[in-house]
Amino acid sequence: MMKRIYAITKKAFLNFLEKLSSVYNVVIPSQIENNYRWINFNGEFNFNDYRCISSIRQFFFPCQELISINYKDVELKKRPFCIVGAKSCDIQSLNIQDYVFLTDEIDGSYNFFRKNNIIISSDCRSFKEVCFCLNLNIKPYPEANFDLNLSLVDDLYLIEVGSEKGEKLIKENSNFFQEPPDTWLEKNLKLRKNVEEQLSKQLISQGLVNREVLYQLVKSGYENDIWQEEAEHCVECGACIMNCPTCHCFLIFDDEKDKNLLRGRTWDGCQYKNFAKVAGGANPLLFRSKRLRNRYLKKFEFFPDRLGIYACTGCGRCIECCPGKIDLRNIFKRLEEDNKLSKL
Amino acid sequence: MLYTPWEVKVTKVIEETPTIKTFVLKPERNFSFKTGQFVELTYPGKGEAPFTPSSDPNVKDEFEITIMNVGRVTSLFHKLSSGEKLGVRGPYGNGYPVDSFVNKEILIVGGGVGLAPLRSLIFTLFSRIEQFKKIVICYGARTPQDIVYKYQIESWLKFKNVHLRLTVDRGDENWRGNVGVVTTILNDLPLLTKQAVGVVCGPPIMMKFTTLRLLELGFLPENIYLSMEKNMSCGLGKCGHCRLGKYYVCKDGPVFRFADINEIEDIWD
Repeated sequence: MMKRIYAITKKAFLNFLEKLSSVYNVVIPSQIENNYRWINFNGEFNFNDYRCISSIRQFFFPCQELISINYKDVELKKRPFCIVGAKSCDIQSLNIQDYVFLTDEIDGSYNFFRKNNIIISSDCRSFKEVCFCLNLNIKPYPEANFDLNLSLVDDLYLIEVGSEKGEKLIKENSNFFQEPPDTWLEKNLKLRKNVEEQLSKQLISQGLVNREVLYQLVKSGYENDIWQEEAEHCVECGACIMNCPTCHCFLIFDDEKDKNLLRGRTWDGCQYKNFAKVAGGANPLLFRSKRLRNRYLKKFEFFPDRLGIYACTGCGRCIECCPGKIDLRNIFKRLEEDNKLSKL
Repeated sequence: MLYTPWEVKVTKVIEETPTIKTFVLKPERNFSFKTGQFVELTYPGKGEAPFTPSSDPNVKDEFEITIMNVGRVTSLFHKLSSGEKLGVRGPYGNGYPVDSFVNKEILIVGGGVGLAPLRSLIFTLFSRIEQFKKIVICYGARTPQDIVYKYQIESWLKFKNVHLRLTVDRGDENWRGNVGVVTTILNDLPLLTKQAVGVVCGPPIMMKFTTLRLLELGFLPENIYLSMEKNMSCGLGKCGHCRLGKYYVCKDGPVFRFADINEIEDIWD
């Protein structure tokens, strides 16, 4: 299919978002020092050069939600989100979340948001020190999983259509959009190429391990002391799992309020001590080292086995948020180093 | 949603042992399960836990769940009396592949409350007993008073091709049977181990040593069926708690052939 690309001025884009606000909960990035965080659209919008601190998972899979009251399903009549400024690493994670929540039995809540949310993603014009999407074969500009994609060229936006839903939005608001001159398209390609080259240089200087061997490294490194040594620094805060765009684990909980039986779910994760504990007391993930290893096995062995892709998009959030400075890039470097040594 | 329970009524509570009770449950809607599948049972407002029904799947209007008092939610279940209501959802998982046992000799090895899912299997096998060559049931409990289903276990011998062996870890003054862990009653089994099917359920340590013993005796890894115990929560392979290698125990199990999991690290942890 020919990719349709339109152009929109910054002012017209604000009007477009304003219009979307009547139906959607429009969320946009807001800059604080060197970071971006998600806020509700309030009439302003500034293009974000790179991803937000937290992932977009929260807009598809709320960190806490009610499932049923007195054994009756709660109604899914929530306001869908329009997510503006999601980056490639974020929207690629939906491949994992879709597999978990939409394969076989369909998770109603996730399905609601996945069907009704709008994703207006955008190119990265820069990156953080922790970014390594390219290392996982993900470009710093969206190639799939978006409805519309925004590219900042000079002081105007190019808008690429990525879905029927996106096409419909353009048609319904055609007065905001115009045909882009060819020079813009060429300019954009140059900007994309430039970011890709710069990021590539950074990754080479960081000496990252080739993605092809990550699967083998976690497999062969099962008994490695690295897990123990790295886990010494884990303070069990769970920041890595809460910020990861591909983490999907949740805990079902029951409660009683005003004689109503409530069932809900909340984000959970394998870095918490009781994650795998059974009633009889056995806990296969009792130690931090086993839990740390489990996280890597899940992302770099389980998902490749089940789905054929790594459950990591190189967003670098787990590195950025870890108080113990546990660094995925470093863990793979160490595993590779040990692997080479053991082969000598 | 997928995780919303519906009501069942407790119609009877059977005290099996000082720590184990069987609850007879009447569902408010049509409910059926395959032997070896599990359900999530909810204590209203407090929490839920996975259990494999211990009753005959051919009985449709009621089902039974045998529960050992070991944790927060199970201790609440133990306070229930008949007439009270619970929540349930399921059934989940694969269950025992009974059809593939046809014309075979079957060894069933249970430990402690692990006899619960196996009793459901035993009843299922009994309902078509002529299709199986032989059924050998070996069961071990800690002490004579920890034996579950005492009131009916002897009646399982009503079929000619059924054998039963019991053992306890520690006997008492009245115990005349074998004393020792369950592997001590697996010698001189009256079956051809190379062709027989072995079905094992019990605590992890018991499953481990029983499996190793069965392999020694000549059972083939593809003929050993294990009920793996993990923290199954959603029951649908979504919440992530019960991962075992490339499997989720709730969806791909809970029954696994040893041949399919023997290369996964630390399966007995």
